[in-house]
Formats: sequence, structure tokens, C-alpha cells
Amino acid sequence: MLWFSLLVLIPLVAVIITASSGGWSAFADQLTNEQTASAILLTIRAAIVVTLINVVIGTVIAWVLVRDKFWGKGLLEVIIDIPFALPTIVAGLVLLSLYGAESPLGLHWANTSTSVYLALAFVTLPFVVRMVQPVLEELDADVEEAAASLGASRFTTFWRIILPSLTPAIAAGAALSFARGMGEYGSLVLLSGNLPFKSEVASVRILSAIENDNPEGAAAIAAMLLAVSLAVIVVLDLVQRRMVRRG
Amino acid sequence: MSIEVSGVNKNYGDFVALEDINLTIPTGQLTALLGPSGGGKTTLLRVIAGLETPDTGSVVIEGKDATSLPVQKRNVGFVFQHYAAFKHLSVAKNVAFGLEIRKRPKAEVAKKVGELLELVHLSQFANRLPSQLSGGQRQRMALARALAIEPSVLLLDEPFGALDAKVRKELRDWLRRLHDEVHVTTVFVTHDQEEALEVADEIVVVNQGGIEQIGTPEQLYDQPANDFVMSFLGDVTTLGGSLIRPHDVEVTPSPISEHSLEGTVSRVLRIGFEVRLTVLTDDGEVVTAELTRTHARALRLEEGANVFVTPTPGAYTMPAPSSAA
Repeated sequence: MLWFSLLVLIPLVAVIITASSGGWSAFADQLTNEQTASAILLTIRAAIVVTLINVVIGTVIAWVLVRDKFWGKGLLEVIIDIPFALPTIVAGLVLLSLYGAESPLGLHWANTSTSVYLALAFVTLPFVVRMVQPVLEELDADVEEAAASLGASRFTTFWRIILPSLTPAIAAGAALSFARGMGEYGSLVLLSGNLPFKSEVASVRILSAIENDNPEGAAAIAAMLLAVSLAVIVVLDLVQRRMVRRG
Repeated sequence: MSIEVSGVNKNYGDFVALEDINLTIPTGQLTALLGPSGGGKTTLLRVIAGLETPDTGSVVIEGKDATSLPVQKRNVGFVFQHYAAFKHLSVAKNVAFGLEIRKRPKAEVAKKVGELLELVHLSQFANRLPSQLSGGQRQRMALARALAIEPSVLLLDEPFGALDAKVRKELRDWLRRLHDEVHVTTVFVTHDQEEALEVADEIVVVNQGGIEQIGTPEQLYDQPANDFVMSFLGDVTTLGGSLIRPHDVEVTPSPISEHSLEGTVSRVLRIGFEVRLTVLTDDGEVVTAELTRTHARALRLEEGANVFVTPTPGAYTMPAPSSAA
């Protein structure tokens, strides 16, 4: 508990205290600053979109990794983890060289909001995959056979038996993916160009607030991100409980 | 005839799981597929269910060729050794599953589920999750779930294999009574000969991918077709070059017939009410005999005692396969 307090609770409280030091109106002023609001909105939107993509694609990838046998599967297993293992700034560099001004693919996404989505999708890819994979591996084959013997088609078995067993893992992966998306900095800062109202995200905004000697502003944005993350985690938990009970 | 399996072969690579299986299972009976692990009995059951496809041969269920039907269309109830419970669904929802996906009216489903839970004595647990049930209760739930779709045959794969001895015995009696009530054609796989002898109307002995013998428990025990069936269904020993059941060996202080062999008691092992003797005959044969405790006491049997061993008149014997005689 002490460890948890020192590491997590006290810094969180400190941020909230700093954010509220100027009173409610100062806090609101910081957030309603047009540039800040736009950055926060872009961050939230990108985190949500990327998380939704991960929920679908991540589950599919986990399924393929567990259920299918194909050449190069071992390699794919390793590649999935690269976004985890790569220092984020290196990821940013990789993305810049692929999608930047000198893109070999002809995709010039630098300095656009697309770059934000792209960078988030890159770094958050493993979360859902790695949460779902072990659960899927542990699912007993006889449960699916039992459903089949009762007359369930493959789709029905997936939808009513397998998916509910996976939802806690998917929800946990989604929560991690969303939280990471909200705070991501390193991987997108190079490619996005940090253009106000266009490709500037909340974490970049916090940095510039600190640089401009505005710790209250930085804390206000941080508190906002914190609140949104908490809310999303609670919502995901509720959704997961309902999905599990739906059956 | 409810299930007809003909000419079924199944190989896994080089391993022959089933070899030319021909089997007819009569309607309304409780049939046991008995055999050692890896002998092919589970594979045979799964072929009947449609969970495995045979390489050759056909499966006919209630007069309908089911060989190419997927498991979904065969209308078989299948019960797995490890329950295969739908962990996120309540007991009632587990049982209702087969009916709900058939889009039966809600009221009908509720009524049927209620009846089945009554039948398997789980009514008070309807709203629990499978994880809150004991192993025996989970298996009863699995049985109710399989029965819900009113299957033409009920197939059970080592249904009591994961349970402890006491519960296994209870469930065994209970399955027999249930079958007498419901009368659905039932096939269950077991490696426990006692379970098969106690519960089944008919036993199919399966070994090394083939069928050794089919018959009632009495037939199999009293007239085994070969030494494998004889030794699989109960203890055996050799006496005078023949296989015989140890409880069919008479132990006396003096010879009682020309078949009596003289020997020395080399070991006395007491197991509950029964005494197991090891007698070393003068010809060098090791004979095991089973007596009741009272009988053994009356004969004052102890290690080193001189005795005569004789087959009980009318006892079933067969030539021992590996004997030199």
C-alpha cells in the first residue's frame, strides 16, 4: 500500500492539486483555450478510434496466432512484440522514414492528423493481441465441440461461447491500448509535426505548457487526460460485465 | 437398431486408431465401450458423434446415413469427461443453450429446462455459475444440457473419469436409474471394468483399434472370448497351465480331486473382508487365490503352510496364452 501510494497516488494527487490551485475558473480557462481543447479532442478521438481498431484486428490476430498453422508463424509472434520493445522515439523515426516527406511508399502523411492515428495504431497493436492470446489458448476444445453437438454453427459458437469468454481480456487490452494512446508522445512527435489545431496532441501540449512556464496549464491538461482515462476504464469494465452476462 | 457402424477405419498418420469396426447398438439400451487407454474407444464414440471423420466406412443413426452429416445435424447428445461447461453461463442457461439456438419459444424453453434440472436434481442451483458447482453436479448439468435437445442417442466419453471414487459410484447408480427413466439409447466410454459391468446392458470390449467381444456383462465375465477379455474384466491367475479367476481357486489342506496341485503358501495379503493368497506349487507355478476372511481363518492359512489348490468345479478356465503346456 505504501509502495502504491508513493508510486501512484501521491503524484496523482499532486497533479490534481496543481491543476486546481487557481480555482475552478482558472482550470476551465486552461482547458477551453482553443488550441488546448483541439489537442485534447484529437487525442481522445485518436485513442478511441485506434482502440476500436485494435479490439477487432487484435482479436483477429490473436485468433490466427492461436488457431492457424502457417509458415512464418513464429516470426509473426516476434514481430507483434516489436512495437512494445522498440523505444518510442525509434518507432517515430521508423514511421517518419516510411510515411514522411521522402516516403518510399509515396504516402506523405507527415504533419497531418493521420500521422497521429498511424503512430498510435503502431504502438498499441500488441496490447489486445497479447491479452487475448493466452485466454484463447486456454479455451478447451471440448467446449466448442459441446456447442457444436448441441447444434450451434461455427458462428453461433464463436458469438455466444467464445467471444464472451474473451471479453474480459479484450476489455483489458482495450483499456491498456486506450491509456497508452492518450499519453503517447515519442512515436508521433516526429511524424505529426505538432501543428496546432491539426496534429498537435495533448502530451505535446503539456510539454509546451511547461516550456512556457505554465505548470497549472500542464496540470490541468494532465488532470483532464486522467479523468478521461478513468472514465473509459470504468465504461470498458461495465461493457465487459454486460457482454459476459448477455449469453 | 439405433446405431450401425460398418467398416470404419481411422488412422492418425501411422497410428491405427480404428480398424474395420462393425458394430450394431440396439435402441433404448445402455451400452459400454470398454477398453484400455489408447485402445480406440473414444475415437469410436467421436466417430459416432461426428466429431471425427472416419477414413472409410459408414455410420447409420436410426436408419439415417449420418456418415457425411456434421455433428450439428446428427442430433446426438455428447457428454465430455471434463464437463465442457459454458463457464460464463448459468446452469439454467447452459441447459437451455441447445433449445435457444433452435429458437424455441421462451416459455417452452423455460419449462423444459425446469423439468431437466428437476431430473438431474439441480433445480436449486439454476442460477449459479458452473464454477460454483462440484464436479458431480457439473457433470449432471452437462447431462441435462445434452438431453435438452432430445437426442436420438446420448454419448458419454468417460463421464465419471474426472470424479473421485465415491462420487463416481453415486453417479454410476444414478445414471443407471436415469436411463431406466428416460430410455434414450446411450453409449458410454469407460476404462473401468467395474463401471461397465455394473451399469451397462451390453458391453463392447475395444482394444488396439478393434472389437474383442460384444455381450452382456454376464457373458463377458463368464465366457470371455479370449485371454484379453478375461484378464481385462477381472483378476486372473494361472493354475495347471490354465487361466482362471482367483476366486475360482479352492484352497484345501488335502487333495480333493485329481486336478489338485500341492504347494506352499508364500504370501498372505488381507484386503478388507478378503484374503489374497499366493501359493507356489511344487511344479514352480505361482497361483493367486482369493478367499473370505472366515474361510482363510478356518483353514489356519499362514506363510509356509502346505496346501492343495484346485479349480472350483464349473469354474471357467482357458488355456494360458504364453504357457509352455
